Amino acid sequence: MRVPVGVKVSVFSLLVMGSYTYFANSIPQIESKPPEDLSLEGGNVTPAQLVEAGEQIFRTKGTCEICHKIGEKGMRAPDLAGVGARAAKRRPGYGAKQYLIESLLDPGAYLVEGYPNIMPHVDKPPIGLNRSELWAITAFLESLGGTVDVKLDDIPKTAGAAAAAGAPAELKLPGDPKAGEAVFAGKGACIACHKAGKIGASPVGPDLSQIAKIQTPEYLMGKILNPAGMGTVAGYPKGVMPPMFGQTLTAKEYVDLVSFLLTLK
Amino acid sequence: MRALRAVRRAAWAALPVAALLVLASTLPAHAQDAAKDPAYRAFPIFGSRLAVWAVAQLHLNFAAFILGVPIFAVIIEVVGWRTGEARYDWLAHEFVKLVFAAFSTTALLGASLLFLFIGYYPKFWTYMTSIFFPTYWVYALLFFAETFTVYLWYYGWNWLSGSKKWLHVGLGVVSNLFGVAILFIANAWVTFMMSPAGVTESGALKGSVWEAIHNPTWMPINVHRLIANLVFGGTIAAAYAAFRFLNAKTDEERARYDWMGYVGNFVALSAFIVLPFAGYWLGREIYAFNQTMGITMMGGFMSWLWIIQAILIGILFLGSNYYLWLGMERIPGSERYRKYVPYMLMILAIGFMVWATPHSLIVTLDEARAMGGTHHPFLGVFGVMSAKNTAVNLMILTTFLSYVLYRRANRLSIKPWVLTGMAIQWAAFFVAAAIVVFYGVYGYFVESIVRIGFSVYQVGAVLGAIALVMTIDVPMFRGARSTGVIRWGQIAPRSQYVLILLAVTFTWLMGLMGFARSGIRQYWHVYGVMRDTSVDAVTPALGYAANMITLVTIVFFALMMFIFWLGGLSEKGQAETHGAAPVPALAGGSEDTD
Repeated sequence: MRVPVGVKVSVFSLLVMGSYTYFANSIPQIESKPPEDLSLEGGNVTPAQLVEAGEQIFRTKGTCEICHKIGEKGMRAPDLAGVGARAAKRRPGYGAKQYLIESLLDPGAYLVEGYPNIMPHVDKPPIGLNRSELWAITAFLESLGGTVDVKLDDIPKTAGAAAAAGAPAELKLPGDPKAGEAVFAGKGACIACHKAGKIGASPVGPDLSQIAKIQTPEYLMGKILNPAGMGTVAGYPKGVMPPMFGQTLTAKEYVDLVSFLLTLK
Repeated sequence: MRALRAVRRAAWAALPVAALLVLASTLPAHAQDAAKDPAYRAFPIFGSRLAVWAVAQLHLNFAAFILGVPIFAVIIEVVGWRTGEARYDWLAHEFVKLVFAAFSTTALLGASLLFLFIGYYPKFWTYMTSIFFPTYWVYALLFFAETFTVYLWYYGWNWLSGSKKWLHVGLGVVSNLFGVAILFIANAWVTFMMSPAGVTESGALKGSVWEAIHNPTWMPINVHRLIANLVFGGTIAAAYAAFRFLNAKTDEERARYDWMGYVGNFVALSAFIVLPFAGYWLGREIYAFNQTMGITMMGGFMSWLWIIQAILIGILFLGSNYYLWLGMERIPGSERYRKYVPYMLMILAIGFMVWATPHSLIVTLDEARAMGGTHHPFLGVFGVMSAKNTAVNLMILTTFLSYVLYRRANRLSIKPWVLTGMAIQWAAFFVAAAIVVFYGVYGYFVESIVRIGFSVYQVGAVLGAIALVMTIDVPMFRGARSTGVIRWGQIAPRSQYVLILLAVTFTWLMGLMGFARSGIRQYWHVYGVMRDTSVDAVTPALGYAANMITLVTIVFFALMMFIFWLGGLSEKGQAETHGAAPVPALAGGSEDTD
């Protein structure tokens, strides 16, 4: 039987693409995940914890390790081994922490001889470290041969502000997610229509198991108080969600419920 | 018959509309939802990212095809017009016919992509609109202009012939200008997402929209995509010809499509040779814009992507050369050059292996301990840029040599200065190769910042050699004595599978490069300005990306085959308006290798 040309060509093409796909699946598989923001403000942190957090940022969100090595001469940026001790002698009138903080916030202010002015401002996007993270990373750098004495107040109040422009809106609610879960399943009767992770199974309304990943806090708050005004999700009937939660829930219950919904990721 | 044709045209027009209606049904039900602006909505089943990825990649494939093919179609038409050879006119018409058939699908996919952005990424799209709104109108007007010009170009082929041919050629040129302008505008949006310019830290437009358009990677991408579109158009057109060749029933048909495949591959190869240089430029601009982005691209989580790219490009080089060598078998007189083939194959194979050698190997812990790290003590030397730049430049030189030998396969120069000319040509090859190797080796002994500059000398040497060799070659073989005519159509069928391999590989490569371009933004919609806070903010690993690229490539070729089949229906039952005259080259009917 003669195989049609179209079949031969299709099989050949599929084999070619299949081999590329197989190869791509057989090499190291590395995902690039969005970094998590660190907040240490108001908390009690020991120097050891601070250094540990700083090292973590050095290797992840800070992306410092791409250019800076520790104990190995870098091609693009200086070796940071012993920088904690060296930093105090770099610039006249600058202590170690002042020099390190300036290096992070204004890297072009002083260049180590032999290296180009290529370091980005780490408190600005795309790296966008916040004050806590700058504090931790400075502590980590100090720990490399020096003494960890940096305080949060040493980091300028304005540092990291630009990062917020690109960062997701962060809403800190005083609500209690546990209590909100009880409202969801109890007084609010949300469970009658919605599923939220392990709670509920009703298909009447949209599944809220990952709602915090796809919706903003503002949307969730608005949707509870004014369901019709916030639109209806595609595929679900209009006007089914009751509009009276603004009257039936107390302010605390409302905030707890929103806090609970924001944990659904 | 006329009624049938009218029905067919109406069906073509109705198809996009029907598909848009189907698509619209998957969008959020109420238009007013958009006004509420949730940051994201979830596309049913597949998720929003996969939906946008698939449609964007398909749209880009089709757009590249319909923008790339007319560029060389009009050049071929000009050749036919000036030389009076009907076969070129037939070929140009055949190419435009392919474009014409793919036109509405491209528009349909573009509209689908727009709807996906508006529906599922409303905040992102609102932001892009706040920056680029003035360009939307220009884009839409250009698209109208491009569509009508191409339609007129295609339908007016017979009407604007003879003394009006200049007008017809002018239409082809104008449609290309519109096409390039469309490409540049779309590139402004895409490159702004990579390397935003002209905006404040909070993302607001500072001055005119031109500053956002003219961002650091805009022009490098424009040039890179323009060249890549030519390569892509050439490979797809060649694959189409290969398919027709394999299905041909007569020698005449085989000859015609053998020639068409050769021209398609010639166009692809010519553009492909300069594509890596455009890639260097783009890479350099990415580094200049943001070191972190550049390093993430080359040395971060994407580093293995370049090994896959090296393998694909190596296959393209090997395939293109193999096709030329197979093609030489149908050229009497080419026997004298066969002795060079093993050496050229050796250079290409070694270059391929060097280029595909990773800097860090996949090893077990025990193996790493035995080696003293993930860098192999011997092979690790080939995993760095010095070795890779040397390899690719030598591969380009070798491919160019293959073409030069093919070009003169059935010609003997009768110029009195032929020996001098040939000596200079060979010297140009050897000097260029020596410069490439010298800077490749020297690069191991200098700092990286110096080493990066060496690639300019290597590229300069190769381009200089190509220019010098061709400057001598053209006059040297003008009026040359023929050693026999090319037997078009008498080529091994496996050569046609090589053409299909090239088309599939280049399409897959385009998908991979699309992933690279988009992936280096990582968790940013607009790098450093607007963060991706959706569920899909994770940039997937290469295996996941490869699965997606393969699926999209399969869909693309399935759609292409369907479209070409539809286009072919119109040939059946009607006299060959452009097919009867040209018989571009019957077996044994042409002396030209160009």
